[in-house]
Amino acid sequence: MNYEFDWFYVKKGLPQLIEGLWLTLELTLWANVIGLVLGFLVAIGMLSKVKAVVWPLTAYIEFFRCTPALIQLVWFFFCIPILFNVWWSAEFMGILALGLNLAAFNAEAYRAAIQAIPHAHTDASTALGLNALQRIIHVILPQALILALPVLITNGIGIFQQSALVALISVEDLMYQGRYISTQTFRPIETLTTVALIYFAVSFPVSQAVTLIERRTKRLLAN
Amino acid sequence: MDFDFSFLAEYSGVLWRGLLTTLQFVGIAVVLGLIWGFLLSMGRTSANKGLYWVTTIYVEFFRGTPVLVQLFWIFFCLPLFLGVELSGFTSAVIALSLYSGAITSESFRAALKSIEASQFDACTALGLPQGVQTVFVILPQAVLRAIPNLLSNVVSLFKESALVSAVGMADLMYVGQNIANNVARPIEILTAIALIYFAIGFPLTRAVSLVEGRLLKVVKA
Repeated sequence: MNYEFDWFYVKKGLPQLIEGLWLTLELTLWANVIGLVLGFLVAIGMLSKVKAVVWPLTAYIEFFRCTPALIQLVWFFFCIPILFNVWWSAEFMGILALGLNLAAFNAEAYRAAIQAIPHAHTDASTALGLNALQRIIHVILPQALILALPVLITNGIGIFQQSALVALISVEDLMYQGRYISTQTFRPIETLTTVALIYFAVSFPVSQAVTLIERRTKRLLAN
Repeated sequence: MDFDFSFLAEYSGVLWRGLLTTLQFVGIAVVLGLIWGFLLSMGRTSANKGLYWVTTIYVEFFRGTPVLVQLFWIFFCLPLFLGVELSGFTSAVIALSLYSGAITSESFRAALKSIEASQFDACTALGLPQGVQTVFVILPQAVLRAIPNLLSNVVSLFKESALVSAVGMADLMYVGQNIANNVARPIEILTAIALIYFAIGFPLTRAVSLVEGRLLKVVKA
């Protein structure tokens, strides 16, 4: 191998990469907001005994879990404007697709956590005279959040990685900027390696934190 | 808004070839990933510090970066490093297999870790040599316990494989986007593509939960 490294263009393009990273983080943040809230609502809906509620929600979850995120993203990008006659930015479409994708996975995480809450808690809520809404907010939500936390964070950081897909619908995220600089300067090795390292630098600490949190939760539950 | 799905019949041949390409990528990546992943998991459970660190960094890196970045890296950078031309097909296979190996090794490692210490004690008590212990006691149990995870890796790879369209491989995703651009009917064609992915992804996912339930019973019994 006699490749000569030249980091000049990476240094020069660094502000551009950082800008891309910010957009990536912004997409991740909003997708997670949608994923955490909608995911919980869907999980609660799945507890319903009404078939007309459970079936559409099941279809939604399974559909988003069983198809590639790329087709979801491309579908939103091309089809939503035609179907609903709205012209939202590519970024917004990206957030929407990623958020709905995440919500489907999070709903499963919440559901597993809710199932792990002992049935006695429901009885206790009834005995205390809590109504359904109070029970959901004060009894189910806090416990489901704690139990599901490791999976929710893992899913959330997964969306951080999946967000690189938005570069393919020309949203100027970290991936897009990296590709742009590498084709402009003919320095793919330096640029793409830097991009990979930036992604890694964000997701690795988070995945390590998950391991820590998991251990904490286990200890918390053991007591 | 009127929909017209009838024109899809015209493209059924191309879509079918696209689907076969997708399945081919998944098949190769799964097989190579199994071998590579097993070797990596040996490294990650090894007492050799050097081997442990190299394999750990590899696995964490491939799990901690977007597959799209890995794919582009292999596609654009590896040929420069090696000084040889790599076809899009080869780069896509390499990228997917390297990723597949990383997630597979984690499944094997978790399975190896889940084997109780008493099993090792029993082997010692029975006076089994190390080789016999690994091949006849540990390995069968580890493989059995890894099966649900390995299957769900297949589902992940099936979904990630849509990325190869980004480096010009004519898989299902690529074919679909191409037709959508040509006939200017994205709704029908992209929905059809999504449904085809779903028609394979959903039974696979179901199979994973089924197998998981079965194995749980076997392992507990």
